[in-house]
Amino acid sequence: MPFRWGMAIDLNACTGCEACVTACHAENNIPTVSAEQASRGRAMHWIRVERYYEGNFPDVRVKFRPVLCQQCDNAPCEAVCPTYAAHHNEDGLNAQVYNRCIGTRYCANACPYNVRFFNFFNAEWPKPLHLQLNPDVSVREVGVMEKCTFCVQRIKAAKTAARAEHRALVDGALQPACAQACPTSAIVFGDLNDPDSRVARLARSPRGTRLLEDLGAEPKITYLQKQPWHEPDAY
Amino acid sequence: MASFRLLPSAFCLLLAAVLLIVTAACTLASPGQPKWNDASVSRSRWGTDPVFTPARSSFGQAFREFLGRRPTDVAQPFPFSHQIHLSKGATCTDCHTGVEQGPRAGLPSINTCMICHSQIATDRPLIQQITRMQEEGRDLNWNRVYNYFPESHVRFEHAPHIRAKVECSTCHGAQIEQTVARRAVDMDMQFCVNCHKNNKPQASNDCLTCHY
Repeated sequence: MPFRWGMAIDLNACTGCEACVTACHAENNIPTVSAEQASRGRAMHWIRVERYYEGNFPDVRVKFRPVLCQQCDNAPCEAVCPTYAAHHNEDGLNAQVYNRCIGTRYCANACPYNVRFFNFFNAEWPKPLHLQLNPDVSVREVGVMEKCTFCVQRIKAAKTAARAEHRALVDGALQPACAQACPTSAIVFGDLNDPDSRVARLARSPRGTRLLEDLGAEPKITYLQKQPWHEPDAY
Repeated sequence: MASFRLLPSAFCLLLAAVLLIVTAACTLASPGQPKWNDASVSRSRWGTDPVFTPARSSFGQAFREFLGRRPTDVAQPFPFSHQIHLSKGATCTDCHTGVEQGPRAGLPSINTCMICHSQIATDRPLIQQITRMQEEGRDLNWNRVYNYFPESHVRFEHAPHIRAKVECSTCHGAQIEQTVARRAVDMDMQFCVNCHKNNKPQASNDCLTCHY
């Protein structure tokens, strides 16, 4: 049976430390842009931590929500791509093929989660900082779209290693960079097709919701949090 | 007829405009981006350019990439002969040890050479040269033979192909006829996809199999 990679993020465990953001930048060779360009919305973060404030000072509560590509089953970005650069593969991954991308940016406009990023520049790394670039991940050039890949290079490597040793991939052996870096283990990654995997059990949890679920994009990321109907006084 | 005669000149104008735009796109710096070319980083041990960038270095480079022109003969730091070693019974996996386990076959270091050559053919000048190099702690900086352009975004894993009983020579040519490895097979996407399509059982033709 093919895999169906998914993720569960426990918002009650997330402390908003942004270790996932840092890990993602390091793993996936994501370039940084200048402050001026960032103010024009050209910053690239495949995962970001959104902050929501509740109440007035000094009684303020901050809630965090890490947002990355939701790897939608019914992805709006795929339908609008004229070159099929955004497509679904057999593992349920929402793939982005840089070779095919011609930079129309339709996908970024169609994406309701704002998690697709356009390379407005050829990124530059002052030497010798380029030696820290991950050799397993492409360095994208100007004019292509990029987004979270669920660390497809790690998925590929884990599959190859498992097949070389004639064993099945065990649940939890494979983690994307964000899940690996998370100090509170708020991010859980795994195969949704395996009903016993940790992520599949969390996806069935009554604490779970999906981001902008009413849009019908069928995202594969489940956000877990204490729901108001569990404990009305908490909200 | 008049418009037909105009066509070549219009075409020339269009071509000139396209060339101008492409040259500008290749050479002009990105506006508003941080610049790293101040004095502190301008001299680098890692090449002449103080920054690493996926941008093409020149218009000529962009043109070569567009046409897919790569050098056939790649200069290597040491005249290693595949012919001699294979004819004496060595196998590919003796030196390219990673080929059955992982994505990379691996280019051997001098330590691999010295497993045999600390005993064998120690009187030859080339062997004495690498013995000296090992004593000095230096290593051979092999150059890649199948060097794809970065914009190909293409990746290859050796192990699944070896398990599928693909011969080394299918992609690397008959190494027993080569001295220093050369680009014997022109590996373009057609070459890969044909095999992936026609093999039984069929290998995946999903883009993400190779391009990520």
